[in-house]
Amino acid sequence: MPDRRSFITGLFALGLCPSVTWADAGSPAFLSAARKPDGSYALFGISEQGRTIFEIALPGRGHAAAAHPRRPEAVAFARRPGNFAMALDCRNGETKAVLHCPKGRHFQGHGAFSEDGSLLYTAENDYDHARGVIGIWNADQGYKRVGEFASHGVGPHDLKLMPDKKHLVIANGGIETHPDSGREKLNIPTMKPNLAYVTLDGALVEMVELPQAMHKSSIRHLSLGADGTVAFAMQWQGDINNAPAMLGLHKRGEEARLLEAPDNEQRVLQGYVGSVALDMEQKLLAASSPRGGVVHQFDTDTGEFLGAIHEEDVCGLAIRDHKLVRTSGMGIVCLSEDMAGTQMDKMRVTHRYQWDNHLIPIG
Amino acid sequence: MWKYCLILYSLLLAPAYAQEVDMPKLVTNVVNEHILPGYERLATRSAALSKAVETSCPDNLDAVKLAYNEAFDAWMGVSHLRFGPSEDNNRAFALAFWPDTRGFTPKTLASLLTDNDPAIHDAEKFTTVSIAARGFYPMEFLLYDTQFTEEPAPQRCDLMAVMAKDIANNSAAILRDWQAGYGEMMIKADNDIYRAPEEAVRQLYTALTTGLQFTAQTRLGRPMGSFEKPRPNRAEARRSERSQRHVLLSLQANRQLASLLSENDEDIDRGFERAIRIVEDLDDPAFAGVGSIQGRIRVEALQGAITLTNDLVAEYLGPKLGISAGFNALDGD
Repeated sequence: MPDRRSFITGLFALGLCPSVTWADAGSPAFLSAARKPDGSYALFGISEQGRTIFEIALPGRGHAAAAHPRRPEAVAFARRPGNFAMALDCRNGETKAVLHCPKGRHFQGHGAFSEDGSLLYTAENDYDHARGVIGIWNADQGYKRVGEFASHGVGPHDLKLMPDKKHLVIANGGIETHPDSGREKLNIPTMKPNLAYVTLDGALVEMVELPQAMHKSSIRHLSLGADGTVAFAMQWQGDINNAPAMLGLHKRGEEARLLEAPDNEQRVLQGYVGSVALDMEQKLLAASSPRGGVVHQFDTDTGEFLGAIHEEDVCGLAIRDHKLVRTSGMGIVCLSEDMAGTQMDKMRVTHRYQWDNHLIPIG
Repeated sequence: MWKYCLILYSLLLAPAYAQEVDMPKLVTNVVNEHILPGYERLATRSAALSKAVETSCPDNLDAVKLAYNEAFDAWMGVSHLRFGPSEDNNRAFALAFWPDTRGFTPKTLASLLTDNDPAIHDAEKFTTVSIAARGFYPMEFLLYDTQFTEEPAPQRCDLMAVMAKDIANNSAAILRDWQAGYGEMMIKADNDIYRAPEEAVRQLYTALTTGLQFTAQTRLGRPMGSFEKPRPNRAEARRSERSQRHVLLSLQANRQLASLLSENDEDIDRGFERAIRIVEDLDDPAFAGVGSIQGRIRVEALQGAITLTNDLVAEYLGPKLGISAGFNALDGD
């Protein structure tokens, strides 16, 4: 089997290879935004060892980023209700393009690339009409906006390209907001979240809704298994003492399954899950709650609760090479030795940066 | 030498912050002096409203309006307490469905009246209608909006009567639950809902900060709209010209809660005092003024004063109650 370098050289010879790769940006394993001690914000490339590889200044607090599947390029989204995103060259920190939302729209903080990286799909709020929109941008043409389609719900948040590369799955959180009222939620009594599967043209192929008793569970964040299983994490908008399950698993054509820790552990979440990470090969689902300062872990086969990892202000989660990595607002980047929550830390690095909501794996 | 020891000792203690807070006492004070009296007032005045509609509609609408305004005032004293009995069966939403961003309220009312829906004549059935047609906000339409007051529908008084009865029932149910155990559970904090006094205190603190945020961002933010596009028609309860009054009443209620929770923190109270002075001086009952530059600047100043007060709460009260202000924990996204 040829090694990677000769494989790439071979591609060059065939004229097939893009000129630059993530290796040119130092081969980061993850991206994450953070607040620095001086109060400014930046996007960081992070190595498998938890060290920073590059740093690119951001004009304000970010939420998530989308990593280009081939080029060392990241799109960093402003925090909701931000109306811009920046496409950044991670080799030198240069801004390749600034994405401005059309009038009457703002970004929701998440985006996903198509398989070849030519198109970027972004979750947006069409706020005067209280409907969700997925914007389409051409990454090969300076991130020109080339179209949009309905998200099939209100308040879309996270979205991911399905492993078949032909569908997107969208977490329609159900919550109506309007920039006039900042981040205030305007429709809690009538909210109706869903999980929508669409083709890349926006045609709805499947929609999952939860029972009416859970209509205040805003479906926010997603993580995908290689087999097409979708893990979804929710945030409860009712009385937190009555919070139902905050996590679910869904596979196309099947019923959604809800996962919940024993009551003692479940209440620690305070009705709020910040990030989710799924690894179907290891049958592991992990979910973070910064409010509870815990990462919950479940067996995806049995739904059994495997244990909690305690980490103050934890939020970012990613699974890479079957290893669970978490980041926190206290500056921690940590890789657990054992997935089942024995809390042995294989690698733990403390930075002076407050890591923001999400940890984005690259590759 | 002793002096040094004392200094060292106090330094060691410093990170634990100031004085120990008697959490059970704080909760007891808030329940007995803030929550129970607030819900008692609401229940009494809602019952009076129900009676007023029955006896005075349509002959003496002024009497109905008076009772309505008094009951609505009482709601503003508790509207920030969004947990426990108010959230059971969506009672709070059934009392106060606002904002109504899609205009459900007038639509639902019109169809109830046009169809002479049986729910108009049956309090039990009425609990199944859309919450957009229940509570104080739809009643405002029936009393003040020309769509319903000019050539009123024959069932308008019946609809108001069932609505007022529903308001009274809901208010009574919330009070009953508080009196019959929820208050005790919160104070004792030895149960499945509150396992420690810290949890009860956290709930009260959350009610305070979300209440202030709602007033700044929604009660004021919605009518302010953007500079290019002010939205005076989105002001809360503008038809009855209660918009400004709601900001005042909710600030007064939150001020009392803040003062009980902080044991009269003067810095926080000064923040409230300043915001309340601005709203009292405003003279813009329905926030119609946001359409003009001068009017907008005044409302913006009020919004700023409320946001500042909320910052004071986070700065002085949060740490005192041991409530961490995590970077991600506070983000809510």
